[in-house]
Amino acid sequence: MKKALQPDEFDPASDEATDAAIDKMLLLARQRLARAIAPIRRSVARVGIIESPLGRLLAAESPRGLVALTYLDTRDGTTVLAALRQKFDLVEDAETAARIGGEIERHLAGDDDAIVHRPIDLSLVVSPFQRRALTRLREVPAGSVVTYQGLAAAIGSPSSQRAVGTTMASNPLPIYVPCHRVIKSDGKIGNYGGGVERKLKLLRAEGFEVDRGDRIPPQAVYGHWQSRIFCSPTCSAVRRAERKKWIIFTDSARARGAGMRACKLCRPA
Amino acid sequence: MPQSRKINAPATLDLPPPFDEAVARYERELMRFLLRTTRDHDDALDLFQETWLRAYRAWPKLESAAGLRPWLYRIATNLCLNRTRDRMRRSRVIGDEEIDLERASAGSNGAHEGVLHLKAAIAQLPHNQREALVMRKFGGLEYAEIAHALSCSAESARAGVYQALKKLKLSVELSS
Repeated sequence: MKKALQPDEFDPASDEATDAAIDKMLLLARQRLARAIAPIRRSVARVGIIESPLGRLLAAESPRGLVALTYLDTRDGTTVLAALRQKFDLVEDAETAARIGGEIERHLAGDDDAIVHRPIDLSLVVSPFQRRALTRLREVPAGSVVTYQGLAAAIGSPSSQRAVGTTMASNPLPIYVPCHRVIKSDGKIGNYGGGVERKLKLLRAEGFEVDRGDRIPPQAVYGHWQSRIFCSPTCSAVRRAERKKWIIFTDSARARGAGMRACKLCRPA
Repeated sequence: MPQSRKINAPATLDLPPPFDEAVARYERELMRFLLRTTRDHDDALDLFQETWLRAYRAWPKLESAAGLRPWLYRIATNLCLNRTRDRMRRSRVIGDEEIDLERASAGSNGAHEGVLHLKAAIAQLPHNQREALVMRKFGGLEYAEIAHALSCSAESARAGVYQALKKLKLSVELSS
């Protein structure tokens, strides 16, 4: 049996339901709505625009961690927002953006710890392969680079260097997932979603002095992914081992900082 | 700096308000609108919940705060339309709508006869005119917002309200 509004719930002068009647209904309606929405409720992501030394960036952080970071002059910000909206309820938050911007600035000023502790959320990455590649890439420390082929080998798909390249191109979290630390197997710098100039700027800020001409610096040392031993480029071990097993550090100190020990044959400085 | 390949950066984010904030902002007027349209306590409650549920599901498609209010009214109006259609279909089979109306009019007292007559007159208006009238007079929407909600021009919305008021006036004059 339907419950029609009672005469005392109307204001006869205006033929409106009275405020008291509406309040009573809203009280009930809010409870019912909260129960109905709970199972489909999306998490909240805080988004904001960062003015950084690398240009304007769009940043988004979910409760699990940083979920998107986009160079707004090379990527379509509206597409990123649309992708975020599918998974999160978005709230604009300048404070979060300012915090992330501060971390990026400190990183560019040479503070290697500035960005490594922030948790990341790979919700926007659908493919398990891409998630594996991006997660593994986070283990490549500042001041070092790895090749596309090397990264593919490190995630157990040694012949998937092209897929790794595609993954880097669509990386939703540049800087924090350091796709700028992935170079070509021949030592060339390779491309970057934010432009090659930004890649060079980031690598130089991390102490890796490269440019498009001379590629890997002469004082670089080669660390082995598995044995955790690093050698000078002329070491026989480097020549013998497969290229894809190496991670290249700008100098010995960086390699030691990453928990590797010096080769006893070539004794790199 | 790198060369720009594709510049499509939002100047400001201009995000729609968070869902809960939108509920808090529009719940009262939407409930009033649904009560006015359905003239039934339970139906208004059901449609209120369904309106916000549908809005929440479609929230990712909402790109900015602009147009939020007419969009909500569009959802509510569509749900009211569906409900009316279902009722008509059912009443053809069961034929109990007339009984309810008789009961309702038998239970009313003299003080509310005018109100009931007006309600009946509103109920007899063509759908678009009724919705336009309710949105304008009880929801307080601008003609542009009504036009957005009813997918028509602002002129049509204005004409709909005018025609509805004209018919109501005539109906009241005839009854008195």
